[in-house]
Amino acid sequence: MKNVANTRKRFCGNCRYHNTYDYPDQVFCFVKFQKLGNPVVSTLDHCEQWEFKPQECFCLEDTMKKNKKKT
Amino acid sequence: MKREDFLGTPVVHMEIQPKMTVNQLIQQFDNSGSFGAGRLASACDIFEHMARDKECTVFLAVAGAVVPAGLRTTISDLIREGLIDALVSTGANMVHDLIEALGGHHYKGHWFVDDYLLYKYHIYRIYDIFVPEEDFVKADEALIEMFDEIAAEKEGSTLSTNELMREVGMRLKDSKSIVRSAYESNVPIFLPAMRDSEFAYIHRVHTVRNKEGRGLAINAFQEVPEIIKIMEQSERLGMVVLGGGVPRNSVQHAALMTGKGLDYVVIITTDRPEPGGLSGSTIEETISWGKVKRKADKTMVISDSLIAFPLMVAAVVERLGKDFHRKGKP
Repeated sequence: MKNVANTRKRFCGNCRYHNTYDYPDQVFCFVKFQKLGNPVVSTLDHCEQWEFKPQECFCLEDTMKKNKKKT
Repeated sequence: MKREDFLGTPVVHMEIQPKMTVNQLIQQFDNSGSFGAGRLASACDIFEHMARDKECTVFLAVAGAVVPAGLRTTISDLIREGLIDALVSTGANMVHDLIEALGGHHYKGHWFVDDYLLYKYHIYRIYDIFVPEEDFVKADEALIEMFDEIAAEKEGSTLSTNELMREVGMRLKDSKSIVRSAYESNVPIFLPAMRDSEFAYIHRVHTVRNKEGRGLAINAFQEVPEIIKIMEQSERLGMVVLGGGVPRNSVQHAALMTGKGLDYVVIITTDRPEPGGLSGSTIEETISWGKVKRKADKTMVISDSLIAFPLMVAAVVERLGKDFHRKGKP
């Protein structure tokens, strides 16, 4: 199975600071949380602090599957 | 002793009847008096004695993931019914209580599972229980906010683990929560190994968010005089242990420091004494330290605490009856 999270596309879902929040659509960014910002972000968003880390999880894959079904 | 002294009490074989109550089953265990059944029957008697002894302060020491596994409400109800006067726990058990208090859940899973697949789905496993990562994260978020609020209110003063649990309990709404029940019942919760749990991460993030020095200061040693004070004010001391570890020794070591020693002890564990760890150490070994009195009412049940503890509680609650009210304790 192709691991989408291993791509270097800029998504919160493959950022090193990501924890799951409402699987798989939203992730929790502890960098934003420590800076007192809104930490709950879309799995497919990204910000300037984005730092790549292959997560090996299915978050990105499953979010994309869900989005594809919707469209 | 003479030969006949060894042969005074025959084994009475268990008679299992339809619609038996738990206490009736425990009575059958007592009739047998053998192996684990005999020890569990003794544990019920000792726990009943603790409950009926109005001069006794009962400590429940909890280690092992019994709260996520299903003992959360049992412990909470014991606190509300006044059958526990103080709780000493691992930090992790209280974190799992708070996960549920803050809207999360634990799920029935299986021990035979692809753990790497769970990892990829952000699901944590505790033997055959599954916990979604998002429930941890949501509890972290809420608790970090709570720590921020408590730190602002306390303006730099240092708290003990018990004082912190009171502050957290005050802010919860879930009446089934152990932390909330303890707050409402004025039962102290001591967490001697608090930093060895998600609380460490929560405190770390809280501290980073509050760089101006307004971070919450928690002194792990501050609970020692608090436990000792409770023990000094108590005529007799009782301890029920699930598992063992740091919570067990925190209670029995305080009993040593007061110079009193424990009067009633029930330990439910599967650990063995041979490797030298505290959880498996025999009560006799504990007597050598002066932590338990030589003539204490005591037993060690070698069992999964998730089986033996609910049976013991059910039997004793049945014996005490609905109208039983225990005198309020600290």
